[in-house]
Amino acid sequence: MNHPAFSPRRVFGVAVLLIAATLTSCTKSIPSTELLSPLTPATTDADAGNWRMILLTGPTQIPVSAPVLASDNGYLGELAAIKAAQATITPSQQAAIDYWSAGGVLRWNEILRELVARQDLPPSPNPDGSYTSPSAANPFANPQYPFSNPPYAARAYSYVTVAQYEALKAVWYYKYQYNRPAPSKTDPAIKSLMPATGLPSYPSEDGVESAVNGTLLKLLFPTNAAEIDTYVAQQQQAALISGRAAASDIAAGVALGKGIAALFTARAGTDGMKSAGGNPALWAQLASTARARGETAWVSQDGPPRPPMLPVFGQVKGWMMSASDIVSNRPAPPPSTSSSQMANELTEVRTAVNNITRDQLSTVYKWADGVSTPTPSGHWNAIAVPYIVSAQMSEVRTARVFALLDMAMQDAAVSCWDTKYTYFNPRPSQLDPSIKTWTGLPNFPSYLSGHSVFSGAAADVLTNIFPQGATYFSAQAQEAAMSRLYAGIHFRTDITAGLAQGQKVGEFTVRFAKTDGAH
Amino acid sequence: MQCSLPVYTSAVNAKIVKFWGQAGLILATLAGTRAGAQTLDDGIMLSKLKYCTGVFYSYDYWNHYWEGSLSRVNGNIGTITTRSVQYIGNYGLTDHLDLLVTVPYVYSRASSGVLHGQSGFQDVTFGAKLKTVSVPLRGYGAVRLFTVLSGAVPLSNYTPDDAPLSIGTHSKRISGRATLNYLGKNGLYMNGSASYTVRGNVTLDRPSYYTNGQLYLSNQVAMPNQFDYIVSAGYRKNDTTLTAAFSQQQTRGGGDIRPQDTPFVSNRVNFSRINATLTYPLPGIHDLQYWFLYSNTFDGRNIGEANTLTTGFLYTFDFHKRVTPQ
Repeated sequence: MNHPAFSPRRVFGVAVLLIAATLTSCTKSIPSTELLSPLTPATTDADAGNWRMILLTGPTQIPVSAPVLASDNGYLGELAAIKAAQATITPSQQAAIDYWSAGGVLRWNEILRELVARQDLPPSPNPDGSYTSPSAANPFANPQYPFSNPPYAARAYSYVTVAQYEALKAVWYYKYQYNRPAPSKTDPAIKSLMPATGLPSYPSEDGVESAVNGTLLKLLFPTNAAEIDTYVAQQQQAALISGRAAASDIAAGVALGKGIAALFTARAGTDGMKSAGGNPALWAQLASTARARGETAWVSQDGPPRPPMLPVFGQVKGWMMSASDIVSNRPAPPPSTSSSQMANELTEVRTAVNNITRDQLSTVYKWADGVSTPTPSGHWNAIAVPYIVSAQMSEVRTARVFALLDMAMQDAAVSCWDTKYTYFNPRPSQLDPSIKTWTGLPNFPSYLSGHSVFSGAAADVLTNIFPQGATYFSAQAQEAAMSRLYAGIHFRTDITAGLAQGQKVGEFTVRFAKTDGAH
Repeated sequence: MQCSLPVYTSAVNAKIVKFWGQAGLILATLAGTRAGAQTLDDGIMLSKLKYCTGVFYSYDYWNHYWEGSLSRVNGNIGTITTRSVQYIGNYGLTDHLDLLVTVPYVYSRASSGVLHGQSGFQDVTFGAKLKTVSVPLRGYGAVRLFTVLSGAVPLSNYTPDDAPLSIGTHSKRISGRATLNYLGKNGLYMNGSASYTVRGNVTLDRPSYYTNGQLYLSNQVAMPNQFDYIVSAGYRKNDTTLTAAFSQQQTRGGGDIRPQDTPFVSNRVNFSRINATLTYPLPGIHDLQYWFLYSNTFDGRNIGEANTLTTGFLYTFDFHKRVTPQ
């Protein structure tokens, strides 16, 4: 027998080795952050100090004293410290500069979405079938605090982005009052390692952003404090080493940010969230009230049955809608559970679920926004990002976008939860157990669809800010809403009434936005 | 005659986070004087111009699963049952090189809760198995070394993002395998096989996902590679096989299922299994062979504590006879 050099056996063996070597050397890394270019704002928005405030009485509610003169020895020492730091810049410091140069507001929004997703885990059942509520007093216990479900998250996004927006308006006010140039302008030996923004540097926008985000994120997501502190320090250091801000610029921003964050912390402590979970007597009463109206009352289909999600969230404070606005704008009741319309809508859901197409399934998965996700609010924040980036918005204008969007979605969450627990309407799979769903069944009543209200409000606000995106935002809202019918977890009425309610809620914010001095 | 079981793509193993593919560790085979059935990880070759083919049915079920390392039940799913029907083909291109294929159709369902089951064609697996070295031991049998290259490609647009009901990971995969086998003249069968599988990225229908401590702002999921091995021993003679095996899979990365979370496609799926294989030639029907396989996942991470039963028939055609009669 002879063995030629290219026997099939040898060729095969070599091929196996080559393919294996090639494949194992492939890198498979997936980006975990948005790949953003350094921000060069199209305009500085120099008048932002006069834009209308939301919670604050005005830009000077938290005073900021004047900076020392550029000739002051202390300040000269700060400039020298920047030069020294720039001379020994490390790769990780450079990476931090690259990361934060995209704009702190966008980066903190990314971090916020990650924290929401991380904490978006419902408590596991206890062995006896009960559930333990997360405890703010003991956040590291099992289950961890918080369970960042859609209402909790909507509120969290709004606190962080509204506080940040108020703080940046105040920063802008003082920047143009004191007009201190950036270190890299004052001293030619200091390099500008981030794009010049043309902004006066005192107080530092990076300082105020880091303080507001750091304080409120630790309040809302306390188990992540160590990681949050790392981001805070990193943003401040990047601002300093890049030649954008001196130590006193950052310190003034931090002090202002902490003062403003304290106002929001106080509001959060008394906004009704602490009692939004209700109690067993209230849960029973919700069901008996619905039955007294002759309706089939919602029941939990979790295994084991779980208390309803935040039944008193409808009484938590909104932003643009007062408590009486929430009640006076409450939608009419859904079709009676014994009506022929409800029977028809149930048939529609059953048919949709049993005849779903792959395209519809993609829509369901795209908009699932369930456990371990940034929730619908975060989804809409992410939708806004490319529009903000392409408009090259200043930090304060970027903050405005998120604040308007997240205020509207918090109002949407409050209005939606108010409606859900007023009517306590069952899900399709409760009325017809043969209906199987294509995504996890949310553990709260059906009417209105949360996705629909969130998306209706978000699309309305974003359309006001980015009119060129109107068609896209509307299509996304329609898709988000319909995904819940395809999935078998909502009736048609939940969706159509939900989208309409969302738009109605969004208009409260849009009316503010049209007269806030920034439009 | 003898037949063969190519890759036992245990659709069944779907479990919590499916990790099919080379999961096929169960195998053994028959052999005997007339030829041999074979799998990707056994030590049996089909001889030239023979085509062994058939259909297998698998039934896999679990109600406990490991959430990370915590064994638990979940009232939102109850018992997950995964059934699969798979077509199997195995062709002897030469006496040294066999080509194998499997095509599974998979159904999943949950006994409790409201989640809809999934079904569809899963992944086609192709394999090429080369008898690389053969050392006869005079009077005792032979020791052989096999090298195997296999790959898998999704056959349909099923979602990997609906665990534990998704029917697969929807990841393209390629595996390299080496197998050392001893078959004694008295029927003593001993086999050891190990493989490494490289898995391609998976595309989701959503723009971001959270796993392993991070939110990824992408619809692309990097799939960690996998290592597995199986050792088996038993009897195999005259087309009759009875073997027992132990197998393990280790995923080289990926996150754990978090408390009360759903599984994710790139989770670190590890397991230890015991497996048993029976093959038996049907009396009176030439070249038709009955198969029965059992496996139990008794230890693991991010996977169901599954029992899997597989049964089917394989028939061997001999084209050699037809092409060159006499």
